Order: sequence, then structure tokens, then C-alpha cells
Amino acid sequence: MERSFAKEVQSLKKGDGEIFEGEGILAVTKGALQSGVSYVGGYQGSPVSHLVDVLNDAKDIMDEYGVHLEICANEAGAAAMLGASIQYPIRGLVTWKSTVGTNVASDALSNLGSVGVTGGAVIILGEDYGEGASIIQERSHAFAMKSSLWLIDPRPNLTSIVHLTEKAFELSEASNQPVMVQLRILACHVQGRFTTKNNRHGRFSGNNKLEKPNFDLGKIALPPSTYAQEKHKWEARFPAAVDFIRKEKLNEFFDGDLNDAGIICQGGLYNTVLRSLVHLDLADLYGNSKLPIYCMNVTYPLIPEELVRFCAGKKHVLVVEEGHPAYIEDEINVILRKADIQTKVHGKGHLPMAGQYTSDVMQTGVAKWIGDINLPNTNRDGAGARIKYIEGLKASATKYLGSPVPPRPPTFCTGCPERPVFSAIKLMEKDVGKTHISCDIGCHTFSTLPPFNLGQTVLGYGLGLASSTGVAPNFDKRVISIMGDGGFWHNGLATGVASSVFNKNDSILIVMKNGYTSATGWQWVPSTPKQGDFDQSPMSIEETLRSLGVKWQRKVRTYNVSKMVRTLKQAMTTTQKGLKVIVAESECMLAKQRRIKAERTKLIREGKRAVRPRFGIDDDVCTGDHSCIRLSGCPSLTIKVNPDPLRTDPIAHVNTGCVGCGLCGEVAHAAVLCPSFYKAEIVYNAGRLEQWLHSLRQRFIGKFCSPEELRLAPRQEGVMEDEDATKAA
Amino acid sequence: MVETSKPAAKNASATRTAARRAAARRKPLGDQPVSVMIAAMGGEGGGVLTSWLVNAARKANLPVQATSVPGVAQRTGATTYYVEIVPKPYAKTKPIEPILDLYPGPGDIDMMVATELMEVGRALEKGFISPKRTTLIGSTHRVYTLAEKMAMGDGRYDGDKIMEAAKQMAKRHILFDIERAAQDAGTIVNSVLLGAIAGSGVLPIGSKVFKDGIREEGKAVESNLAGFDIGYAYATGDVVELQTRQAIPKAVPVAPNDAAGKLKRRVEQDFPSETHAVVLEACGRCLDYQDADYAFQYLDRLDTIRKIDEGRGDGDFKITNEAARHLGLRMTFEDIMRVAQLKTRKSRFERLRRDVQAGQDHLVRTTEHFKPGPYEFASIMPKSIGMRIVDWADRKPKSARRWHFGMHIRSDTIWGFTRMRLLAGMRRFRRRGFRYFEEQEQIEEWLNMVRRAAEVSKPMALETVECARLIKGYSDTHKRGVSNFHRIANIVVKPALAAGVDVAGDIAQAKAAALADPEGSSLAETLSAMKAKFDGCDDTLQAT
Repeated sequence: MERSFAKEVQSLKKGDGEIFEGEGILAVTKGALQSGVSYVGGYQGSPVSHLVDVLNDAKDIMDEYGVHLEICANEAGAAAMLGASIQYPIRGLVTWKSTVGTNVASDALSNLGSVGVTGGAVIILGEDYGEGASIIQERSHAFAMKSSLWLIDPRPNLTSIVHLTEKAFELSEASNQPVMVQLRILACHVQGRFTTKNNRHGRFSGNNKLEKPNFDLGKIALPPSTYAQEKHKWEARFPAAVDFIRKEKLNEFFDGDLNDAGIICQGGLYNTVLRSLVHLDLADLYGNSKLPIYCMNVTYPLIPEELVRFCAGKKHVLVVEEGHPAYIEDEINVILRKADIQTKVHGKGHLPMAGQYTSDVMQTGVAKWIGDINLPNTNRDGAGARIKYIEGLKASATKYLGSPVPPRPPTFCTGCPERPVFSAIKLMEKDVGKTHISCDIGCHTFSTLPPFNLGQTVLGYGLGLASSTGVAPNFDKRVISIMGDGGFWHNGLATGVASSVFNKNDSILIVMKNGYTSATGWQWVPSTPKQGDFDQSPMSIEETLRSLGVKWQRKVRTYNVSKMVRTLKQAMTTTQKGLKVIVAESECMLAKQRRIKAERTKLIREGKRAVRPRFGIDDDVCTGDHSCIRLSGCPSLTIKVNPDPLRTDPIAHVNTGCVGCGLCGEVAHAAVLCPSFYKAEIVYNAGRLEQWLHSLRQRFIGKFCSPEELRLAPRQEGVMEDEDATKAA
Repeated sequence: MVETSKPAAKNASATRTAARRAAARRKPLGDQPVSVMIAAMGGEGGGVLTSWLVNAARKANLPVQATSVPGVAQRTGATTYYVEIVPKPYAKTKPIEPILDLYPGPGDIDMMVATELMEVGRALEKGFISPKRTTLIGSTHRVYTLAEKMAMGDGRYDGDKIMEAAKQMAKRHILFDIERAAQDAGTIVNSVLLGAIAGSGVLPIGSKVFKDGIREEGKAVESNLAGFDIGYAYATGDVVELQTRQAIPKAVPVAPNDAAGKLKRRVEQDFPSETHAVVLEACGRCLDYQDADYAFQYLDRLDTIRKIDEGRGDGDFKITNEAARHLGLRMTFEDIMRVAQLKTRKSRFERLRRDVQAGQDHLVRTTEHFKPGPYEFASIMPKSIGMRIVDWADRKPKSARRWHFGMHIRSDTIWGFTRMRLLAGMRRFRRRGFRYFEEQEQIEEWLNMVRRAAEVSKPMALETVECARLIKGYSDTHKRGVSNFHRIANIVVKPALAAGVDVAGDIAQAKAAALADPEGSSLAETLSAMKAKFDGCDDTLQAT
């Protein structure tokens, strides 16, 4: 795993009245332990990857309470895990990133939502929406409505998050329905504090096991039960949920003296709403607002009685609801109409239809609204001035800068083993021509970005191969699909490979075997190598493929670009029909470096021989065309000011970040680029013999080396360092 | 970097006043949070920096909240951290939690920290730097974006613009090469930044608290504290100037070689002083590349251009200067002998050791990557044979590609070095080679165009000279450059010369197009457009 929480998890042991200081996701775990959870599970994905890591690192604490942790194969598996709470009064918590994870989970979720639960079933959704999100932008709210899973959207402070995690279990039990707790990216990573309670043992757990199975046909999703379940859902469970939410006051009323208007917001947006009021002198830092606020910590179901109470007597309310469609705003309109309340409902329009409600979006929207409704004893100009101020800053900055700052798109890490594969595809295209490429989810999706711009479609996790089956028969060349080992075990094995073999598809699959789900922080997968040794993986992708009947199969070390190019050409041109799989194997460089760097330092410290490889470029041989960069894009392969007074274009340069993966040389070679590249191996603590041989060589070279350049005039000998400040130019 | 010394320039007293100002700034601001935004990149330790700030605030019993948006690629993408600290400590009894925001707000940032110059620019664009509130701590060093690196010519964004904007927009700016400062302290940027933050005095927390935090954490304490002190010094204006490592002047004396002496004298007699720097450099390179005759040939060729500049009599020798530069480069074209020569010098091995950061007691093994193909062989063959090989290679590029021989030469071993040294020695036969013949022909053709262009107009002559910039690189890259050069020459320059029309603008445009994309699609478009344009006017333009 990328990050260890070994130290942090100790705070999960805290008891009554102690202060917990830490990250949001850690607090959620604490909340679950305080609720006597019996089993937890999930599938990693930003922003809840760390939750999975935390659960991992908290293993011994979990064991103490007999809590089982399942690292699920995918989100469907995690959702299905909640099946334990259908027949038995045991509490479970699972997590994944939403909405993509919820898509994968939705089959199990529908069944769960239909039959209902006995023990509290809680789902923590890492809402990957807005700035920093890595997925398609949708709303989890729709899932809540379609499968009637109650949706909690807590205020983004640790006290509220933990309180509502606990209440989620109670709500689930009180209404016999699963409950989803939605945490946005920033809330997952928020650093704060709250007062802890003692952890509780679950009613049943690893320490106190169930003895006999329940049987209740009513809890099987099979007609005629399903009809009864639907009725029960709406006649019993839904009202029960509404009652509980009202009685427990999960939603919060903040009164203010300006009673003509008010704001209704999702809990998760409360802090930003309040801040925008502070800027307009309508509230203070401690939540005292002149404008009444109804904060919905539960966004599904809505509580008509509360909404009517809040809106009655107000001329205007502003509904602050992130994302589209505006389910909440629309339903509020319906509720008020039915109750014949004439309050004007504003929302989308003052605030943007779609997109994240960041600080400036919120400030501008709220200020605009305050201005428009012409609220008595508020300073309208203040509202306008605020907007002008924000826009003014951006405008003048743009003026001074002249041209927009170039973006910094995400790309493969330094020395990433997946980069060479795409360099190889680029080179293969020179001979065989371009073909259609179906991409997948994972680090390798970056192939679609510069410098490679390879890949026509991205459909979903593990769906690379499956998404090629429609285009392949309609394309005059063999099409290529990409799949990571993460995606392979998540879904691609059955949906992609098995199906393609079964259908006798004639196409090419490249499996990126780097050993981990690296984009999420290198969590383990079934084929994760032991100490970097792939032969010691618990499960082998190659054997799995063989057993599925894949006849044409090659394994290539990704850094061997020439061989990769050859193999790709073979795959493209061979007369053999059927699925052709190239397993592109090399361990994730981040994981590898973390291991070998430690080993090397140890060796050096012990005075043993160690070698550090890295690449370099000869300043005077490079002519500054940058073809190498266009074929690699490695962060450590960069440019620097040209030390040659006769040349103006910056030259390529390998900076100190280089890990010596070898791609530069391989590409320079396979692409016949240029001879500027050299590989250097720095040898530490060399042995006597080696020392002697080296000095011999040095003497020889010193004697016969080419004469230095004869200069007719003194010259500025610039010792240019990597990433020289533009000032140096 | 100049900028950083500025607050320091008015130094001495400035130091003390800065410290006093820092103390003054630390007065509690009441019930308004102090907001800190950190724009970092993966691997710079932004997370640790944030945790240092958070822990320090907690130590001081101040309400604090922090959060982060890790970029999609946690490794390389931009990562932002946002911290809010309330300067008023928690009440002893019944502490009330303030409601702190998770989003940085434009115009609401008290302290903006950016670990790289382009990220300073990004913060400016988003309105996070305001003259009212924002103290900016930014690094002047560049981590170039892919777009900048990929450009075939020079695609770098103008950093001075960002510096200027930063100084205009920020309430106070502390700009210095943070990366270099970190290297000097033997640490990574985050501890330097922490020091700078403490030194700026924007936070209601004294530097002692931060330092204690580092000590208690117990990780790399020494280097972190060293980094902290450097950062603190910069922020309080204690650092007068930076030890910058670029361009350390090192006079290389003229070799005691009569040929060199003769050349030098001739240059100083025949050429105006404003051209000496370039001419001497280029002339010396020709001498180094081949021999004295070759160097004199260089001067003879350049003379023809000089005469034109002189003839105009406006005392401007820009054309000569530019021609001197490009002629020098073209006459020292990179063939395998040249590459071998450059790679077998003592100074090269010294530079290499420096580049790969090898210590005194470390051995360095070097492997060179060569892959000579038909063109390389042709270049050393006699003209007639070489030409045949090239024709074949041009006709059958696919099979030609199969005739490349990959070589990994260990240039640090006796055998490997010897092979390269012998190759370098072969340069005395260079004149008999096909490549030499070809290059000289092209150089003459180019100079000819330049001379005729000079008759049309100065700008046109300059643009024609500049076309040489397209020719660079090796194998495919070089071929592409040459063909682009010829296409522009034949479609734009020559016909214009024939008609005596000034097409400086068109040449510039075509050149830009040629450098726009390696596939040459934009050049094709531009040229066809121009063809059409020319076809429209004078008939003599059809001369192509």
C-alpha cells in the first residue's frame, strides 16, 4: 500500500470523552467501531482508497472485536456482503467510490433494497465529484431513489460525520433498509477533531457466532415475495425512515432573524454556504446566521413536514443542491405545492446547473440571489461588490499573464512500466498503421493524453476488451484492447476474456501486469508479486488465461520496447485466429523503488557493493528536437537551457528524478532517435579488483581521449542544472 | 531570483525591521480564520507540510481544519492543500467549534504557497492571490509541462510574465528558487517552505512551535531543520543573494596553436566587433570539427554575407551574426565521427559524472546507445556508393529500417572506448564521404538564397538564414528537417526571389508551421495555402 496508517489507527482505541484528532475516513472507521459493527468490506477507489487501507492497518483492533474485513473483488462483491444483514441482526459497513462503484454494485443493491435488512447495513460512498475527480460526473442520489436506499450527506466536520455514521446504523435498523453515507472528496481528507465514545462489540461477531440459520421466504427476492416486499417498502419501511429522521432530528434547523427568506442545503455543502454568508456579513464564524438555514443531513428521503415548517411564512428559499438533475429542488416544489405554500423556490439558475459548488461558485450564487430577492436590511451592493471583487482578481491576473498558463495534465510516473508499452504501440503503428484501441480504467488510461493520444474509447473498469467486441468485426485491422491487472481481476476476466474466447473473437488484448491497483495507491490484487517476484503471486494471470483456452499468449517485459514492437506486429499480422493476449509485465515503479531504494541504502550503509542506474544526455550531442520526449513523456525527461551559444532551442535533459528504468535508451534505440542518450551505472563500495580495473581504464582513457575543443575566445561555461529557472535563459 | 534579493537588497536594517514586522503580523486577528493554500506536485511532501502546520496549530490549542485534493495522478499531477487556522485559542471551558470551509476562496487566501513558478501562475489565474490579503511564497524554478517539453523548437512559457504578475497581484511576495535552497540544505522543499511560512509571520504561531514539531516527529530532523532555517532566512529578508549555479564564467584560453592564432587574427581584422563572439565560437568549432582549412573555408563563406551587410552601410550586422551562427552549426553537422569525437573527451566524462551525481569514491560505468543504419553507412561511403545506398533506402524505407544495427558500447572499457576513439579518428576521411558532399552542396545553395534574399530585404534575408534552424537531429528527425527546409525553399523562397518579392512574413509563417507538429500536416496546409496565393500573382512565381 502507498500509505501506512499504522500510527493513526491507534486512535481508534480511544474511549468515552477523549479527543480524536485525524482524517475524515479514519473518523468513519471509529464511528463504525462505536456502533458495534460485525463485518466491513469494500473496494478501493479515490477518495475512499484510504478507508480500505485504514481497515487493513486496523486489523488487530478489528480482530479484538471479532470484526471481519473482506477486501472484495469488486463493488458488487462488497454490496453482496451486506446480505449478511438480511436475515440476521448483525451490523455491516462497506465502502467504494461513487458513482462508478455504485454502478457495479447496483445489482446487489436492488435486491437488498427490495428484501430489506434486519441488522444495520451502511454503505460509505466516496463521492468522486468535482475538482480532482477521476470519473464521469453523475449523482449517487439517483441510486438512492431507484432502490430506496436512504442517503445521508453529513455536514463536513468530524463530529457530524461520526454522529451520522452511528445514526445510519440505527436508521437502517429502524426502517429495515440499507443506508448510504455520502462523503465528498474534501470531506474524506478533512483533518479535524471530535469527542470519542467506547467501541462496542457487535451482537454477533467472530467472537460470538450465530448458531442457526434463519429462514424467511419473505426475505427472498422471488415472486410472489417481491410484490409484498414492494408494498412493505412503501407502506412500512419508508414511513418508518421518515419518522426516525424527524424524531432523531438528523436534519438541522438554524434560525435567523431575517425570516422572509431562508436557505435549504445539502449537509455536505453547509460550511461553504455559511462562509458565503460570512462574506456578506450575514453570519459569523460560529454558525450564527441572520438568514435561517435548513441543513439536510439526510437528502433522501425528504421530510415534507420539516420542509413545510421551514418554508411557511418565507417569501423566498434558495435550494443549494450540487449536481444535476435537481431531484431535491424539484421534490421541494412538489411538497410545497401539495401543502399549498406559496414560498418562491430558487436554486438552479442562481447556482449553476452542474459542476462542483466551490467557494467562488457558492459565493457568487448566494450573493446574486441575495441581490435579486432584495431582502430587507441586507446590503445589496455588498453582494454585487463581492462578485465584482472575485471577478476583478481573475481579470487582472489574466491581464498581467497575457496568455493562459499551460495545463499540467496527469501522466505516467517517472519510470512507469506502462509507458514503454505505448511507446511500442506508437512505433508499431509506423509499420502496421494505426488501429482502433479500446482503453480501460487505470493508470494506463493516461495513454489517451499527450504525448501518446492513444485510445478511442474508455467504457468502464475491466471493460476494455468487452468494449472492443462491437468494433472489432467492423474494422479492417485487428483492434487492440488494454486492461490492467486490477481490471482483469475486477471484471475483465469473465466479461472480457472468457466472453471473447467463447465468441471466438479475433482481436488483441494487452494486459498491463504491474502487480497492484496502482492508480488507487497500489492495493494488492490476486496476482500481486511477493517482494517483486511475479512467480510468487498467489494467482497467475497467465495460467488463468491458459485455463480459459487462450491459445496465442506472449509475456513481454514492458521495458523491452523492441521486443514489444515485434510481438505487437506478430499479433497484428499472424494468421492465427482467436484472442491474442500480450501480458505486459513489470512491477509498478513506485512500489519497486520504495523497496529497492531501501535495500540499496542498506547495502551502502553496510559498505557492501551497490549499483544505481540512471540515464543521461550529452549536452553537445543533443540538437533540441525533443522527439524523445514525444515518444516518452517521462517526468524526469525534461528540457533545459541550451549551453551552446550557437543554439537557441532548449535541449533534452534527464533530471535527478531518473530511476534508470531504461526506456530512454530503448526508445532512442527502437525508434532510431539519436545517440545523445547514455546509461550510467554508479557503483558504490566497489571491490578491490573492480577498483583496479576501473583505474586502469581511466588511465587508458586519459591517455587516448580526443583532444578538447580549441577555443578561439573565452566562453561562458554554464553548468546548467536540471529544470533551470527560465531566468537562466 | 533577482526578485528575492529585492526585499533583502535594502538589507541590514531591513532584516531587523522584517523580523519586527513578522512579530507585529503575529497579533491575533480575532474571529477570522487565517487561510493557507498550498499548490504542490506529487512527491514534494505537501502532505507532510500540511500535517506540520496542523500539528503546530493543535499544539497552540488553535482551532484548525485542513483538507486536500490529490490530483488524478497522485504522482505527477498538481496537488492542492487547504488549511484554515483560527487565531483565537479554544476556550478552557465549553470550547465552541468554528465552522471552517473546505474550499479555498478566491481573494480569501492569506498565505499562498506554490512550489513551482507555473503553479504560481495557476494560482493567479484562479484569483487566489489578492493585493488585499495574500502573502505569496513561490518558487522561481520551473518544472516544465509536457506541452512545453514536446515542442519541436522552444515551447517554454514566459516565466518573467508570471513573476511580474505575482509582484503586481500579491500583497507581499517571497519568491526564490525553493528547489535549489532545498538542495543546498540537503532536504526536500517542504521544510524550506515551512521555514518561509514561519518567517513570513502570517500565521499566529511562532517558529519555535514549528521546529519543536519537526524534532518531535523525529524524521530527518537535521536536514529538515536546516531547510527550515534557510526558508526562514529568505522570508525575513536575511538572505542577500542566492548562490545561483548557472553560468559560472570560465575562460578557456586560446590554444597555443598557430592555426588558431591565424584564424583569430583574421576574424579580428575582417569582422566587425559585434560579430566576434559568435564568429570566433563557430570558427573555433570548425577547426575542432575538421581542420584549419575548413575553418578558413567557414570564414570565406561568411565573408560573402559580411560584405552585403557592409555594403548596406547602416552599421547593422544582424544578418552576418545570424548567418555566422547557423553556418557554424551547418558546417559541423552531426555525423557518427562527430558524435564519437564528442563522446570520447575527458571533459565529457567529467560532465557525465557531475550529471549523474557520482561521488568521488564511486565508479561510473557508461553505456552508449548507437544504432547506425543505411544513411549512416552511406555518409562515410564514397559519393557514388553512398548515393546509391541512400536512393535505395529512400525507395524502400521499410526494408531500410531492417538494416539498422543496434550497438550498446561500454565507453568506459578499453575495448569500447577504443572503438569509439577510432571512429572519431576517421574524421580525417570525412571529406571523401557522401554526407560531406551532400551537406556542402546544401550549404552553398542556402547561402546563395541568403545572398539573393539580402538584395530583396533585410527581414527576408534574416528569415532565410533562420530556415537553417529546421535542420537538426539524427536519422528520421534529420531527414524530416531537411525535407521541410527544401519544401519551404522551393515553394516559398525561390519563387519569391525569382520575382524579387519580399515574403519574409510567409517564410516565418511556414517555419512556424514546420515546427508545429512532427507529422508535418500544418506545414502542408500552410504551404498549399501559400502556393495558391502565389499562383494568384506574378507568373514568374511558377518557377518551382
